Amino acid sequence: MKTTMNNSSPSSELEFAYKVRRALDERITELPESTTQRLAQARKMAIARKKPESLAFAVAPARRLAGAMSGGSSNPFDHSLGWLGRMGIAIPLLVLVLGAFGIYNMEQERRINDLADLDTAVLTDELPISAYLDHGFDSYLNKHGE
Amino acid sequence: MATDKELSDFLESVDRRAFKQAAYAVRNEESALDIVQDAMIKLSEKYGDKPAEELPMLFQRILQNTILDFFRREKVRTTWVSLFSNMSTRKDGNDDFDILENFESEEGTEASESSADKVEREQILAILDEEIQKLPARQREAFLMRYWEDMDVAETASTMGCSEGSVKTHCSRATHALAKSLKALGIRL
Repeated sequence: MKTTMNNSSPSSELEFAYKVRRALDERITELPESTTQRLAQARKMAIARKKPESLAFAVAPARRLAGAMSGGSSNPFDHSLGWLGRMGIAIPLLVLVLGAFGIYNMEQERRINDLADLDTAVLTDELPISAYLDHGFDSYLNKHGE
Repeated sequence: MATDKELSDFLESVDRRAFKQAAYAVRNEESALDIVQDAMIKLSEKYGDKPAEELPMLFQRILQNTILDFFRREKVRTTWVSLFSNMSTRKDGNDDFDILENFESEEGTEASESSADKVEREQILAILDEEIQKLPARQREAFLMRYWEDMDVAETASTMGCSEGSVKTHCSRATHALAKSLKALGIRL
């Protein structure tokens, strides 16, 4: 096997890179015993300090819910919670929409009632005294009287 | 989430390569071992709950950051040492830690001495080791991540914090530089 790359095509680069890779793989099998022991110790230390699983369980339901929303999930456990997840989202959404509709209707009715009261007051000439003390209202009446 | 066994298997599958990567960068086996240990502990402590398939990229990122941290500490240490011992100046006006400069001071010691007594193949592998170590840091990182760690261009770019185009350029330059230097030495893999 030659190391030289006669032309610099991507395939020859790749071929050379993989030859280097094989050589490197070969090289790491010859690490001194002291080094491999130290690496093994480091692995043990790392495993001993692994992040506890309890946090992952706390996050899991949220992930399942997210999976149910997106519709696609590779986790087989998501199927059993699919209905629950969907209902858990659909019911609050329904309540929210109904609530918004109710508030809108109430507000609309209140506005109509206010306008009706005003109309009634004008028709029965029950204008409040403060309306006549308002200079703006006077000038409005004068202007329209002319 | 990765189980203890998955994490253990993953660490076992990458520890030697990680050690070599760190050793290429810092040129000191003890420091390289410390770096790998730190990186493994960080991965386990902070990302031990991640799925097993996310571990390779996370580990590479942590390893590269730990190597960078080493250089930062080394730079600070060098600055303080040079500040307090400037009476015995060997070099003027260059406080920056230079990887290549460091390499040249150690070149031809351990690797070449050991390879001199070994069979031809071992000699070749040792020389290849040296030639990889001589590559500019970014080129070496890109080359090793792409071709030794089997990361794709996007993953390598993300880990190195550069564009995919830069990764391709680094890899291509590293490949050509290695091929050229091995050819000059008359070495065949």
